[in-house]
Amino acid sequence: MKAIKTEIVVLGAGPGGYAAAFYAADKGKKVIMVEQDKRLGGVCLNRGCIPSKAYLHAAKLVTEAEESSIRGIHFAKPRIDLKEMRAWKESILDKLAGGITGLAKRRNVEVMQGRGYFEDSSTLRVETAGGQQFVKFDNAIIAVGSKAAIPSAFDLGNPRVMTSTEALEIEEIPKDLLVVGGGYIGMELGTVYASLGSSIVVVEALDAILAGADPDLARPVAQRAGKLFREIRVKTKVVKMATAGKQIKVNLEVGPEKKEELYDRVLVSVGRVPNCADLGLENTRVGQDEKGFIKVDEHQRTGDPGIFAIGDVAGGVLLAHKASKEARIAVEVITGEMSAFEDIIIPAVVFTDPELAWCGLTESEAKQKGVNVEVAKFPWSASGRALSFDRTDGMTKLVIDPESERILGVGIVGSGAGELIGEGVLAIEMGATAKDLAESVHPHPTLSETLSECAESFYGYATHTYAKKKATTEQ
Amino acid sequence: MDVRLPRLGEGADSGVIATVFVKEGDQIQKDQPVLEIESEKAVATIPAPAGGRVAKVLVKEGDEIRVGALILVLSENGAGVAAAVAAPAAAAPPPARAIDASVGDDAREEPVIDVPAPPRALPASARVAAGPSGFPIVHPAGAPPPASPSLRKIARELGIDLYRVAGSERGGRIVMSDLRAYVQKIQRSALEPRSTTGSPAPAAVLQVPKPVPASIDFSQWGPVTKQKISTLRRSISRKMVESWTTVPHITQFDEVDVTELLVLRKTYAPKYEAKKAHLTLTSFAIHAVVAALRKHPSFNASIDEAAGEIIFKDYFNIGIAVDTEQGLIVPVLRKADTKSVFQLSVELNEIAEKTRARKISLEEMQGGTFTISNQGGIGSGHFTPIVNTPEVAILGMGRSVLKPVVREGKVVQRTMMPLVLSYDHRVNDGANAARFVVDLVKEFENIKEADVKI
Repeated sequence: MKAIKTEIVVLGAGPGGYAAAFYAADKGKKVIMVEQDKRLGGVCLNRGCIPSKAYLHAAKLVTEAEESSIRGIHFAKPRIDLKEMRAWKESILDKLAGGITGLAKRRNVEVMQGRGYFEDSSTLRVETAGGQQFVKFDNAIIAVGSKAAIPSAFDLGNPRVMTSTEALEIEEIPKDLLVVGGGYIGMELGTVYASLGSSIVVVEALDAILAGADPDLARPVAQRAGKLFREIRVKTKVVKMATAGKQIKVNLEVGPEKKEELYDRVLVSVGRVPNCADLGLENTRVGQDEKGFIKVDEHQRTGDPGIFAIGDVAGGVLLAHKASKEARIAVEVITGEMSAFEDIIIPAVVFTDPELAWCGLTESEAKQKGVNVEVAKFPWSASGRALSFDRTDGMTKLVIDPESERILGVGIVGSGAGELIGEGVLAIEMGATAKDLAESVHPHPTLSETLSECAESFYGYATHTYAKKKATTEQ
Repeated sequence: MDVRLPRLGEGADSGVIATVFVKEGDQIQKDQPVLEIESEKAVATIPAPAGGRVAKVLVKEGDEIRVGALILVLSENGAGVAAAVAAPAAAAPPPARAIDASVGDDAREEPVIDVPAPPRALPASARVAAGPSGFPIVHPAGAPPPASPSLRKIARELGIDLYRVAGSERGGRIVMSDLRAYVQKIQRSALEPRSTTGSPAPAAVLQVPKPVPASIDFSQWGPVTKQKISTLRRSISRKMVESWTTVPHITQFDEVDVTELLVLRKTYAPKYEAKKAHLTLTSFAIHAVVAALRKHPSFNASIDEAAGEIIFKDYFNIGIAVDTEQGLIVPVLRKADTKSVFQLSVELNEIAEKTRARKISLEEMQGGTFTISNQGGIGSGHFTPIVNTPEVAILGMGRSVLKPVVREGKVVQRTMMPLVLSYDHRVNDGANAARFVVDLVKEFENIKEADVKI
């Protein structure tokens, strides 16, 4: 069979894959993008970031309407039509995916629908609907992503046990929903289902939800979820699950205590695993770590010099924007630029209510690693903007190097924190000091002021808080 | 208390940890070795600055760390582990990518092996290569140098280590004008003749990363084994290329009659052994070389082309090529002109042992004026050694053999030792070298019992 020749083949069309394909095409390369799904966009667009945020927006609407009675606005209990809601979500995804398809076309990036399999270090076999195709490439970029992990003990083959993928389809609103895993996926989807009317129990094996975030930032999220959810149980393990009629029987262990409970549905959100199976990696020199993620160097290069890997499949934090950054690095390395994933900070956002976002060094990390830092905090109870919409359950925090006064980390919890963290990323990447942030005028009344006021509070003169602190060190 | 990596010596501001001798919970004494660090040419042992209990070890073998990096936390004797756990020792900043709560965070911490680096990118290790004193590291380890992403990209493309670029903005932030000034400083310092007191030319900074030839897959012709190039091997390689490419080498061959010397040696060796000294031909050679160097100062010299000067040295520090398991190391035997053959033998033994144990410090390898490489023990004949720059000559010794030679018209048996001298033709001409070798042979043959007596 005659092989199709290309300079670069990109395997996967998620936020890593299409970013790589487009950037390579913009740099004049001949690119083929292989995707097994009909709709481009990967997990992010189809089963992750975008649909979950659409539902979270709907959830917020419900919650805000409910809470508006204190403002003298009374709504009747909402009627929720799941079919319409799903169609609305789908319309968003179609629009976005259509956009990607259009952008691919305009760049002459050939999209091949089918499953890719490496025959050797320079050949990809693609199983398309119209039969096998062979693609001969100079360079390949693997961007096949990850999928929700489901431990075999929970895999009952019962649709009532869901991963995030099924949960985002919202087939029904279960009366009692158990969320296994208090990470960001469990907390976000728990929020959606709670707003729609489910009674939620979250169980987390560790001693806190949202492990990785500073405890003081996670606290407002846990507090609000505590009201919205029936219960959050930490240090709790799910031992067993079994089908019990139209319900799922769950055996739990809280320390020495054993419990047996019934739920209408269960969401398993205990982590994600790379999609490395059946890629033919064994026919190449691509290496994997013990968890199955593809090993790459700082240039995103795998053990096979012509093959690169980016995004979730390459491990690290499993976030779309990390994949997109790695896409740029891989393409730049392929096109001969000096580029490397070094000293790059990746922000994290949890879209719970309130939102939780951070970037750079966290306070816990600083403590754990013994980095000498000073921490400045600004409570949103002092923000007029936060008060104006009744959400003072927020905090802005700066992690600062006391010597250079450079900002090393930013953490924000509160409504819209995800939209605010970008300024923190820029500040850290630019090597800004707390003074730089304090001296930059922020518009009033906005939540962005909490950043400049937080920086001012580091020097002891924030307008809207009062703290006896150190004298100004500015020369 | 915090234990940080002390200064390693002139021009060495970082190294790779070869061995960590202590573990958490150990009770240690002041000056007890805590780790061995491999820098440029030596493995230096880092002693504990105080006694106490090791509360925390922040480094592991293979870590590349800088001077000032935290290596250990010691708690007072008897006291708990209350001591502050301070900054991470590894030069790498905490990876920002480890902040997410999702799975697989540690996947990336695995060092990636066997991946050929792209030829154009400046290797991360280039950043920590020891630099000359004119270009010190000015930003602390632990966080990347404060500069914007665009500026960091330009620096990467230029191969400039931003840790060495002082920033003029608040918090030491580096801006374009700082980088520009730094590049100009490099060029100036490369073009200007060196002042006598100034720092040596920033060779390490100026070195443009050479294109590395593409990797060849040798396994296609048969099984192969791969070994990481050690810091020492890299250093030898760099040094030899530098010498081979800058020094016009000439090698002079000769032989010296060591029959009498060997008689002397046989007589005195037991006496030397009793005092823990080995009387070897190298001890004699140092003695003879110093005498020859006194008569020929141009072989105890260095060349400074930038300044247009030849520098003659009034001191005689003799480098001794030592064959270690890891490779060639050249410690320096200082003030050889003030020492007797016995003293030389004692010191020779000491530094050779210290070198083989890789305990020699960087200082002890600097300041040589002439080098001797004795391959006699291995059984070599004549060979052409490479000048150990910035010195201008090196003496090679081969294995002594019994030979028929003509003495006063008769063929007699004498023990002859091959002698070779490689020298820098920029400083000395062939006639000079011939005179030096003739005199050196004479000095060898003139060694008297009085010189050897203890």
